[in-house]
Amino acid sequence: MKKIDLKIIKNRAQKEIEKTSDLKELNDIFKKYLGKRGELTQILRSLEKLPKQKRIKIGKEANQVKNLLRIKFDQKALELKEKVKRQAEEKEWIDITAPGKKPIIGHLHPLTLVKRKVEEIFQGMGFTVVEGPEIETGWYNFDALNIPKEHPARDIWDTFYLKNNLLLRTHTTPVDVRYMEKNNPPLRIITVGRVFRHEATDASHEVNFYQLDGLMVGKDISVANFKAIIQEFFQRFFEKPIEIRMRPSYFPFTEPSFEVDMTCLNCNGKGCSACQRTGWMEMLGAGMVHPNVFKNSGLNPKNWQGWAFGMGMDRLAMMNYKINDIRLFYSGDLRFLNQF
Amino acid sequence: MIFSYNWLQSFFKKKLPEPKRLAELLTMHSFEVAEVKKIGKDYILDIDVLPNRGPDCFSHLGIAREISAITGLICEIPTSTIKEDKNLKAKDFVSVEIKNKEACPRYTARVVTEVKVGSSPKWIQERLKICGLRPINNIVDILNYVMLETGQPLHAFDGEKLEEKKIIVRFAREREKIVTLDEEKYDLNESILVIADAKKPVAIAGIEGGKIPEIDKNTKIVVLESANFNPRVIRRGSRKLDLKTDASWRFEHGIDPNLTEFAINRAAFLIQKIAKGKILKGLIDFYPKKVFSKRIKLDLDYVERLLGIKISLKEIKNILKKLSFKCSENENSSRSVVEVPTFRLDISIPEDLIEEIGRIYGYQKIKAAFPIAALIPPKRNFEIFWEDMAKNILKEVGFTEVYNYSFISEEDRKIFGDPEGKLSVSYGASKNLIEVENPISVEQKYLRPSLIPNLLKNIQKNQRYFSDIKIFELGKTFKKSKIKNQKIEEKKMLTGLLIGNAFYQAKGILDTLLNKLGISNIWYDEYQPTPEESEISIWHPKKCAEIKVNHEEIGFLGEISPKILDEMRIENKVVIFDIDFEKLQKLSSEETIYQPISRYPAAVRDIAFLVPREVKVVEVLNKINAVGGPLVRDVDLFDIYEGEEIPEGKKNLAFHIIYQAEDRTLSSEEIDEVQEKIIKALEEDPEWQVRK
Repeated sequence: MKKIDLKIIKNRAQKEIEKTSDLKELNDIFKKYLGKRGELTQILRSLEKLPKQKRIKIGKEANQVKNLLRIKFDQKALELKEKVKRQAEEKEWIDITAPGKKPIIGHLHPLTLVKRKVEEIFQGMGFTVVEGPEIETGWYNFDALNIPKEHPARDIWDTFYLKNNLLLRTHTTPVDVRYMEKNNPPLRIITVGRVFRHEATDASHEVNFYQLDGLMVGKDISVANFKAIIQEFFQRFFEKPIEIRMRPSYFPFTEPSFEVDMTCLNCNGKGCSACQRTGWMEMLGAGMVHPNVFKNSGLNPKNWQGWAFGMGMDRLAMMNYKINDIRLFYSGDLRFLNQF
Repeated sequence: MIFSYNWLQSFFKKKLPEPKRLAELLTMHSFEVAEVKKIGKDYILDIDVLPNRGPDCFSHLGIAREISAITGLICEIPTSTIKEDKNLKAKDFVSVEIKNKEACPRYTARVVTEVKVGSSPKWIQERLKICGLRPINNIVDILNYVMLETGQPLHAFDGEKLEEKKIIVRFAREREKIVTLDEEKYDLNESILVIADAKKPVAIAGIEGGKIPEIDKNTKIVVLESANFNPRVIRRGSRKLDLKTDASWRFEHGIDPNLTEFAINRAAFLIQKIAKGKILKGLIDFYPKKVFSKRIKLDLDYVERLLGIKISLKEIKNILKKLSFKCSENENSSRSVVEVPTFRLDISIPEDLIEEIGRIYGYQKIKAAFPIAALIPPKRNFEIFWEDMAKNILKEVGFTEVYNYSFISEEDRKIFGDPEGKLSVSYGASKNLIEVENPISVEQKYLRPSLIPNLLKNIQKNQRYFSDIKIFELGKTFKKSKIKNQKIEEKKMLTGLLIGNAFYQAKGILDTLLNKLGISNIWYDEYQPTPEESEISIWHPKKCAEIKVNHEEIGFLGEISPKILDEMRIENKVVIFDIDFEKLQKLSSEETIYQPISRYPAAVRDIAFLVPREVKVVEVLNKINAVGGPLVRDVDLFDIYEGEEIPEGKKNLAFHIIYQAEDRTLSSEEIDEVQEKIIKALEEDPEWQVRK
């Protein structure tokens, strides 16, 4: 066994290691040199037969070669493994433009979403949310609200009557009376609920729809206060600066009464086809609670004053989502509902 | 109502604002102007006079007064100085008798003789036409003209055609008839007020004149009527006869009784001027109870408190004066007594005056100011809270919310009802249904007794586009009440619907919903209808359960009967859960108490066995739990199978049994021992066969 042999083995092995590009081949090379019957292993094994001095010398060199080769093998193995992983990753390429898998989710009705937003805004201003029955008596729907029988004003509210002398409420205002009967002022409430009108349906009229009604009563609650609260509501609801204006109107249960317009959302008040070039959109009816309504609710009108308003929530939702037909809300059409 | 701009201008010496600007002013201070349109040399303003202002503003003079108050321009009311004949007395040509002074508080009449009936002058014709009236002859046109000008409807009779020269205001008698000026025949009755002569009705009071004493080209003696009628009487009559006229519309809104005299003199004056003729001496005037001005105390502090703005006393007085109100003259007092002109029927309380002050002053000048109020936190509305919660949970498990109509149709009643309407379980049983008195169409004949019919219709409409449908609605249902002294039962229901073979899916969803609402003691009870009930039940007789919490039934879960689905042309199976939301809400709780997580591992052993088909899972579960004892933490059914490879009449049930102790790690031997005990117990029944 000559020294030269070791050098040759070392160089040869190094070259082979360098040359290979395959893990399996590398493994074979390892076996060839360092395996049980590997060339270098055999050299090391054959050392026993050599004289001590030579044994030590060659043994040392052989071990050096062995260690060196091990390092080389390990390095190469690491390199090749990295390469294999890289190649595998390359193969695992996906088309990121292909569509994702969507979970099946449900949808809340747009009127529910709007109702929640409305309730949240008013609750934030200290209003309690209350509810009342959809079937009403003539007393709560009309008489208590200062609309006596045979009063022409009763015609304004086209009413569904039932075959039991009751009726379907035409507005949520009766809830105000019911609430005032049981609760003393000062009070702040809103009601959102289903109301009914006996009229032909079209893109902006339905036989049932939702009304938002608000009431604030105290010692000195004024028109100026109403203006502030309702303006704040619209600004929060539509999330932009909004002006409001009030025009004279008539409701038997409020005095004074007003019609409330707000800046047209479409043109921001410049005037467009949506607002008939006026820059304003008619939003709701309101007024200062009529003393007779206080009386009919068991409160002394000398002690209390306040305002009430009523507005169509469907219309709010239609403006919010740019929906052009109120009937869609009640169509049960999933192609519509799944958009919310 | 349509108004002529030029006509309005004629009451003012000074130039009115341009039509567009005038319309804007009226909109902001009085009434909304719907349209301004140029017609020839004039403009029309279509003004939506508010219903309470009909009495004074269904007239050009009324609107002129508004304009005067808004602009400060002076409005001049036309004067009519009439020359009465010195010799001939009106009362010799006609006598007036009022049978009911409630129905007719005032009746004024004049007689004009020797009139020349012809066409009216061009200026009258033009004004009538622009306001939408058709010129007829000078007498009729003048009456219409005065009505448009003053708001007082007038009528004229041919004096020679009145039997016995009599005018009697009375209610019609049964079977009396009248043919009106429009040649329409009406059957009258005792609720309709008429103007009659000695023999028959000659006009429907306040609504329309009769054909017989009509003014024609030969008329020489004109009897003019300017009367005041009770709005309710006119309204009732107009409804009964289904006849609405310019006159009835005005009377229905009420008119100042003091207006009759001004209007009749105005008409007589114009007739004399235009159709010549003699105005006979004397105004026939039945007016037993004269109406005087009301006086209202106005507290000036209250004006400020209600409007939320300080308006000076001077300004307040000025506004009221411009509107023809009179204020008492004590300058320094904080109170004023205001005298209301009688034509303002709408004003009776201080708040009415405050509205006048506010609107003329301008609501736009009132600055928004947040109220200064005690910080009272809003009360939480639990009903709405749980509603939102339930909706959110259903949405999270993939349901879409729908809103349906509150009505069902006659056809729905037939599908969901029993023909005789006897059984209370039937949704459509007529004895339960609340019927609408005046439906617009058959679609709204009844109030919905359940949310189910309309939800099924949603399926019918959506099945073309969607293969998997999960929808729910939370809304009110209506039934006749069985409780004494209560007519109706208005109930909030929560109803969900899935399509396909989805009973267990629905049951799982329901458990999730209830658990999330903090309800745990849920069980499902077999629903056992009587044979007749099952005939008409909407539920599949074998796939339906009552949902119970503790001992209370809160709703139903089941598949809809194939018969109903067939009738509704629904192709898929439908599973529904129908819950009484009020009960659900009361049971709901926000309370959640943390359960410590065991520090010791759980072990799972599976067990599968064959049992006869009719064996219920709950029996098996009970047995496993009873034998297993505290070490069995959970038993989880993961498969029910019958069919191929399973003997006829049997089914395979497979469970995971989860073993866990609170205080130690269970040894494999310990678990095997319990598992063996369970197997033994299950095999006690020879029909039950554990598969090893």
